[in-house]
Amino acid sequence: MSLHIFGNRLKCLLRDKENVFWTMLFPILLAVFFNLALSNVNAGESFQAIKLAVVNNSSFHNDQALQTALDAAAAGEQKLFELTLTSQEQAEQLLTEQKVSAYLLVDEEPVLVVSKTGIRESIIKSFLDSYLQTTAAVNTILQNNPNNPALLFQSAGERQNYLAEVTGSAADPNNILIFFYSLIAMSCFYGGFWGMREVTDIQADISALAARINISPQHKLKAFLSSLTASYLIHFSELILLLLFLRYVLQIDFGAKSGYVVLTTALGSLAGIAYGAFISALVKKSENMKVAILIGTTMFGSFLAGMMIQDIKYLVSQKFPLLAYVNPINLLTDAFYSLYYYDTFSRYFLNITILGGMTIAFCLGTYVIVRRRKYASL
Amino acid sequence: MIVSVKNLVKRYDDLLAIDHLNLTVHDGEVFGLLGPNGSGKTTAINCILALLEYDKGEIEIFGRPMKPEAYDIKRHIGVVMQNVAVYNELTVEENINYFCGLYVADKKLRQELVREAIEFVGLQEFTKYYPKKLSGGLLRRLNIACGIAHKPKLIILDEPTVAVDPQSRNKILEGILELNQQGATIIYTTHYMEEVEQICSRIMIIDKGRSIAVGTKDELKAMITLGEKITVESQRITAAQLSALRRLPNIVSAEYKNRLLVIKSSKGSNNLETVLEFIKQEKIQFGKIYSELPTLNDVFLEITGKQLRD
Ligand SMILES: Nc1ncnc2c1ncn2[C@@H]1O[C@H](COP(=O)(O)OP(=O)(O)OP(=O)(O)O)[C@@H](O)[C@H]1O
Ligand SMILES: [Mg+2]
Repeated sequence: MSLHIFGNRLKCLLRDKENVFWTMLFPILLAVFFNLALSNVNAGESFQAIKLAVVNNSSFHNDQALQTALDAAAAGEQKLFELTLTSQEQAEQLLTEQKVSAYLLVDEEPVLVVSKTGIRESIIKSFLDSYLQTTAAVNTILQNNPNNPALLFQSAGERQNYLAEVTGSAADPNNILIFFYSLIAMSCFYGGFWGMREVTDIQADISALAARINISPQHKLKAFLSSLTASYLIHFSELILLLLFLRYVLQIDFGAKSGYVVLTTALGSLAGIAYGAFISALVKKSENMKVAILIGTTMFGSFLAGMMIQDIKYLVSQKFPLLAYVNPINLLTDAFYSLYYYDTFSRYFLNITILGGMTIAFCLGTYVIVRRRKYASL
Repeated sequence: MIVSVKNLVKRYDDLLAIDHLNLTVHDGEVFGLLGPNGSGKTTAINCILALLEYDKGEIEIFGRPMKPEAYDIKRHIGVVMQNVAVYNELTVEENINYFCGLYVADKKLRQELVREAIEFVGLQEFTKYYPKKLSGGLLRRLNIACGIAHKPKLIILDEPTVAVDPQSRNKILEGILELNQQGATIIYTTHYMEEVEQICSRIMIIDKGRSIAVGTKDELKAMITLGEKITVESQRITAAQLSALRRLPNIVSAEYKNRLLVIKSSKGSNNLETVLEFIKQEKIQFGKIYSELPTLNDVFLEITGKQLRD
């Protein structure tokens, strides 16, 4: 372990704003959003829809996908948004008069204009971010692999459903927990962003920085592990923050075995980082493509694990039981849930063992692939 | 002997990137590796540094075989790669400190070395800047500082001046000479012959992974038959005059294009005199006359039949 590498790596990674956003802020925002939607349902009162103005220009008119997503979120009894289509001047005025919380202007990209920050604004922003993220992922995949879009297309479609679905679903406390458990599981696998960066940064044929470390008198594996430890520490701390936030701010009760919840999160973080590392080593495409695959598969895995629509989870476990066992996000979600639900540990340990096995497989796979590259990098 | 490469062969699938390359670099030299784009300079450097596996050959540095785990050798090498390699999330000073720290564990000593390196490349005013905020030339200087802060005995620079303005370039070249005077042996790759002529004590010209000539610049120029090149600016030269010129002793070629008469002579003295005599005889009106000695480009041209840079 090289403290020098570890320390500098920490500094470096913490300043990587994009990764910190996706691995920490994004799950927290999503949690806030879930909580708001679900607690309203719980209390049996109708959800106070957020007033949102949309500038009705030609760009918006042409953006079919965004329209669909917004419509889904603004439809039904328990709608999330109340939309006003209007001109930009009008929208500006509505915002100043506080008649709307924000307005959306579609130029090349949708831009959100707010006059203050608050929970409503955060929800709109989190909605928009996850929308953009998913469409970007889908676009990249479509460009690179136009023959097999079905997989992601599906998950993007469901994405929009989930906004309608979440707000409308029954609010059995156990079911609510599934949402949050799958959210934690998804956050664990967003650790893949860190794992991906680690692997990129040790491959001398991809990164000039890696070459620089390779020519230094540092033991390669030791340098890699020092750097990986920094990633792990950061990601695990982020997850702990998320757990604390869920527990103490959103008041989610995880049951009595909170020590095990932390332990499971620790393993989940490792699994996520290893998964990202493996994808990074396996996919010989551009950085963007790797990110798209990471987000796409994680989202899809979370979807199957019931993050967006719970019934999917039961459907999968009844009709495709094998899929439930090879989907690491589902394994992780179930591990959390079995801690809460069962008094015995057998189901929990089974899941953790499979997940541990997968993590080891990801690590070995990464090692073998990176080793086989022409550059002597590990 | 600082570096010795024997019979190095490196293939990328079907492409023979390095073809039985032999090379020795002596203590205290500034050794130039000159070759056009794609000639195999970077590949050769990467093999020497054991970054790249090669098909055949022996490489020794400081008299010992170079391997990926030869940490005692690596400790004394500094490398400035062709591509800028710095962390965008670390400031100028933090970057240099980080890379220096891969070699020097002692914090006090390192602080001093980092300070010297910053001064050496003239980045004192930018220590707190992030790389994204630096101009291209400054970024190159940071890249150099990261490679040399630990005061290595052998410094390898792979085209450190690509895309650098003339002012920064001169500063870099002077700096390299200074490092050499402080005792470092230098290997410098480039496709700019002017740079090699300016700083290198010995030069190897490579093409398609093969060494085609080695020596000091005078030795290289002595290898070829071409002597000086004489250029005359003139409004009018007749065909008869041109062919008469070509028949003069020692004249290899004479071309007239765009009001420029270019005469190439083979080695020997008095070539300029012969040409001046002829011009006087023929009463040719002229603006300017100048004579140039052959360049490394002419050496490259004569050996390979093509230009060093196109
Ligand atoms: N990773 C690689 N895979 C396949 N071919 C490669 C690879 N790296 C280099 N080459 C090829 O090997 C040859 C030598 O490349 P190299 O980069 O060593 O040249 P160079 O002299 O450094 O060129 P430049 O002046 O452009 O930096 C080129 O034909 C190049 O296309
Ligand atoms: Mg090169």
